[in-house]
Amino acid sequence: MVANSTFDRVKEPSWRRGFANLLAKENRTWWGTRRWWVQAGLWTVVVNGLMAFLLFAMPVMLQLNEDPADAASYDAVVQSVGALFQIGTVALALGAILLSQDQILGERQSGVIEWVLSKPVSRASYFLSKLAADAMAVVVLLVALQSAIAYGLISLANGGLFPLIPFLAAAGGLAVNTLFYLALTLMMSVLTDNRGTLLGVTLGMLFGGLLVGSLMGTYSLFTPWSMTAALPAIALQTTLPLPTWLPLCVTVALTLLCIAVALWRFRTMEF
Amino acid sequence: MNPSNDMMIQTDDLGKAYGQVQALKGLDLRVHRHSIFGFLGPNGAGKTTTMKLLLGLIRPTNGGGTVFGQDIVRDSIAIRSHIGYLPQQPQFIPTMTARETLRLTARFFFTGPKEAIDARVEEMVDLVGLQDKADRPVKGFSGGERQRLGLAQAQINHPDLLILDEPSAALDPMGRLAVLRVMERLRERTTIFYSTHILDDVQRVSDTVAILNHGELVAQGPIEHLLAGSDKPVYTLTLWGNVEATQSRIANLPYVASIDVACSNGATSWQVSVTEEAAAEEGLLREVLADEAVTVTEFHRKKYELEEIFASFVEGDNNGR
Repeated sequence: MVANSTFDRVKEPSWRRGFANLLAKENRTWWGTRRWWVQAGLWTVVVNGLMAFLLFAMPVMLQLNEDPADAASYDAVVQSVGALFQIGTVALALGAILLSQDQILGERQSGVIEWVLSKPVSRASYFLSKLAADAMAVVVLLVALQSAIAYGLISLANGGLFPLIPFLAAAGGLAVNTLFYLALTLMMSVLTDNRGTLLGVTLGMLFGGLLVGSLMGTYSLFTPWSMTAALPAIALQTTLPLPTWLPLCVTVALTLLCIAVALWRFRTMEF
Repeated sequence: MNPSNDMMIQTDDLGKAYGQVQALKGLDLRVHRHSIFGFLGPNGAGKTTTMKLLLGLIRPTNGGGTVFGQDIVRDSIAIRSHIGYLPQQPQFIPTMTARETLRLTARFFFTGPKEAIDARVEEMVDLVGLQDKADRPVKGFSGGERQRLGLAQAQINHPDLLILDEPSAALDPMGRLAVLRVMERLRERTTIFYSTHILDDVQRVSDTVAILNHGELVAQGPIEHLLAGSDKPVYTLTLWGNVEATQSRIANLPYVASIDVACSNGATSWQVSVTEEAAAEEGLLREVLADEAVTVTEFHRKKYELEEIFASFVEGDNNGR
């Protein structure tokens, strides 16, 4: 029998007690299983399949249509960069919602959360470990990997390197937008134990927001919904009626708000 | 944890309400070090609520309590560092194996060394007999296997206090016996606070018992005291011969509250309820034997079965003893 005195005891401060262990556990569920390469492959097909189509197949198709005006006016690089940051904003946000919607809610519904929180684990550690592990996976697999492949494809079609700094800035914006929807989903999984409500609010925010944003005109730049316009503008170095950093800042602020609300509510929840 | 303190759990007026429903009412609980404390009550009596309050999974709406002398609300994490808990229906991460689950649990308490953690995991796997299932995902486990894993993870840190919510509920008779043996073995190094519906088990291993009904504590004390009856001890006598005159004489003794009489195969059986234990111990048998027409073949203080005690408290008939 191994005596307790043989062990090195956990020495984390109370507020983040259990964080390292939980984060390691969450990271293993991403990187220690086939989950990461399944998601990497899936999103590569979705995002860069579209990019390859726009960059390489579309010009050929337009030429085959024998409409010289269409073929001449089609700028494959501009179109694909615009599509990457417009459609990517929505698609990757959708990915973040779908990948994280069961993370806390599933454990609440199954009772696993009661078991975990009966150990010396702070509520903040539980929530933040989920957030940190998912954020890392989403940024690496959905944003960084897809952006890197897309950058390669765009540069290939461009016949030279596409301007890197604006592209990286837009990719950073894409990460901010995706993390916002991740934080929103995790917050909702704390606020409700009903999956319908969770998906209704998060998907409603994503798709309903796009609709509302289009009706708001310039004012939509004060919301995350204008990221579909702001990110292509950043990458292509075009201008918008208001500074492009505005929706970025708003989205960062809303992300932090979601995290703060979730932590506040989670602290007083009962299991 | 203060090792000099003999009180492991102490609650004072601890209560929990869900809206208008009072799940737990003014609980005053005392659990001493190294006791095996059986926490009894019908479904919905508030047993699980009490355990969750002690673990900080829910918050009290009135009163409070301490575990190891530390406040159950303010010092919850420090308390949980020295506790092992088995929920009523243990749920684990379904994709993890039993061994991975135990390793994860151990790492909530210890950071290393890795070899020591692995050795402790093996010790727990052996303890609950899960050797051949230890590398299978938990999602394929039966209720009994999950319960055994639950027991193993609750003990992984060699806790000072084990809180077990229905530890043998999902187990077959052999599994139940194994749990009881483990509990008896652990008495040396830990305190066990557990709830169960299996009263035989309580009578066999517990030294202290509390009975909860409708959120209220209706009895608490050493099991021997409860089984002996409390405020009105009862003595059982088996008599032969003509007992009528003796019966009226005994019924008039100042310390005799009542006599229940039953006849069977020529013998008469009395259940004599008394108000003064010392006087009865000293004089009752002597008074009966004073009548030469009566032969006494049995005399002892009645010992109740826990089931009787439990039923009497839960059904509200707790005035008779």
